[in-house]
Amino acid sequence: MTDDKDVLRDVWFGRIPTCFTLYQDEITEREAEPYYLLLPRVSYLTLVTDKVKKHFQKVMRQEDISEIWFEYEGTPLKWHYPIGLLFDLLASSSALPWNITVHFKSFPEKDLLHCPSKDVIEAHFMSCVKEADALKHKSQVINEMQKKDHKQLWMGLQNDRFDQFWAINRKLMEYPAEENGFRYIPFRIYQTTTERPFIQKLFRPVSTDGQLHTLGDLLKEVCPSAVAPEVPMPEVCSWLPTWLLASSAEGSHLPSLWRDWEEDGPRLSQQGAENRRNQSPGTETRAVPKRRFTEEDRRF
Amino acid sequence: MEENEFFGEKTFQHYCAEFIKHSQKIGDGWEWRASKDCSDGYMCKTHFQVKNGTAVSHQGTSAHVQTFLPVEEALDPPLDDLEVTETTTAAEVIKYEYHVLYSCSYQVPVLYFRASFLDGRPLALKDIWEGVHECYKMRLLQGPWDTITQQEHPILGQPFFVLHPCKTSEFMTPVLKNSQKINRNVNYITSWLSMVGPAVGLNLPLSYATAASQDEGNVGGQDSSIERKSLEEH
Repeated sequence: MTDDKDVLRDVWFGRIPTCFTLYQDEITEREAEPYYLLLPRVSYLTLVTDKVKKHFQKVMRQEDISEIWFEYEGTPLKWHYPIGLLFDLLASSSALPWNITVHFKSFPEKDLLHCPSKDVIEAHFMSCVKEADALKHKSQVINEMQKKDHKQLWMGLQNDRFDQFWAINRKLMEYPAEENGFRYIPFRIYQTTTERPFIQKLFRPVSTDGQLHTLGDLLKEVCPSAVAPEVPMPEVCSWLPTWLLASSAEGSHLPSLWRDWEEDGPRLSQQGAENRRNQSPGTETRAVPKRRFTEEDRRF
Repeated sequence: MEENEFFGEKTFQHYCAEFIKHSQKIGDGWEWRASKDCSDGYMCKTHFQVKNGTAVSHQGTSAHVQTFLPVEEALDPPLDDLEVTETTTAAEVIKYEYHVLYSCSYQVPVLYFRASFLDGRPLALKDIWEGVHECYKMRLLQGPWDTITQQEHPILGQPFFVLHPCKTSEFMTPVLKNSQKINRNVNYITSWLSMVGPAVGLNLPLSYATAASQDEGNVGGQDSSIERKSLEEH
């Protein structure tokens, strides 16, 4: 895992420059300025947008405010999906910044889970971690941990503390020396083209004859339609603490698909870069003027 | 994928098929829905109930007394019943949906459910609770499951309530061990659903239990989906 430390850091510190605009039909007492933020890829929308909420609520009356929700080009954003996943699925081929619309009324009950408190986000996150460990270790590692370890995992995510998080997560990424890997690899494949939200199946890291499986093997087996010679790899997202196994397995180029956006010269995903090259000049739509993101925008 | 665990996906589908056979016999409304790509699916049932709201004034505060009646009874009630004390709110029909899916992570079935008014307005969990009988509420609070949470349905992608599955094998193992001991086969789905269902307003007629032991009647005590398959081939 030490060789992969750079990869772990790259993934953890990945950011998406985002511009939040209030939905035009919300009732305001005065004009609402857009709000800019660098969103962490590995976190959740409702966990990192307290400042966004406060900013817009300043220009609204209390009675016009109910549960906040976010939307991109008409699609309600599922807060329980990691931010990086949402972006890759919906907006990676569009110009930056990512333009998200903020709503305070007409919560879309049929599409979105409610998020009444941070506890709900924590419960969801921990539930994902537990399910991943059920696949990796028959839940042995997660169940042997103390409550304070679980709490540390959560606090590490909430407070953007890489070391705090990985002090615990590394235990979830270990396996006995005699084994060649986890029992099953926890993964989910998201595609915009399917009705089904994601593909999740049992998949062993090692084949019956002892060969280590690659990411390509996994895709061939569970998502054969996605693998084609001339087409770039589909956007693939695994669960937060576990997808990095895929990155250290042979033949994976996952990190190169997900570059983080730098302030003055974003390095883009393969697909995004191609789309951008193919776009004719002057056709980029931009809702708000170009703006340089600063250190301040990292603080969510 | 791998089927060497006791309750693999094929076994799950087999028990569901048996369960649905009986449901069809007694008109209980369960059916199987395959996912679009047909690689898997789930068992589901929809039923409607009438919520009869009656406001009763009591020292200046109003308390709601709500009872759930099966639709047939509600359609033709004696007039006196409707003219209760103070005001009578219109009876509302609520649609309940129950889905049984397989979790490959925990290798157990999972119960998803939701309720809504006919115009599509969803019920919050606390509203669903009001229709659950008191004794089942107690069971739910003491039950070997963590909680009911709202989650995304893995096949439909919509919000549902879910009974968390991670403790299911804990309470199901004694049931299955016992049935093996006394050489009587059980339908895992029937046993499991009869335990978790009532806590969220879903009841199973008793005939499911007798059907389960009849179907698997003379087969040996060891679990063997292979043995069952040979029964079906007749």
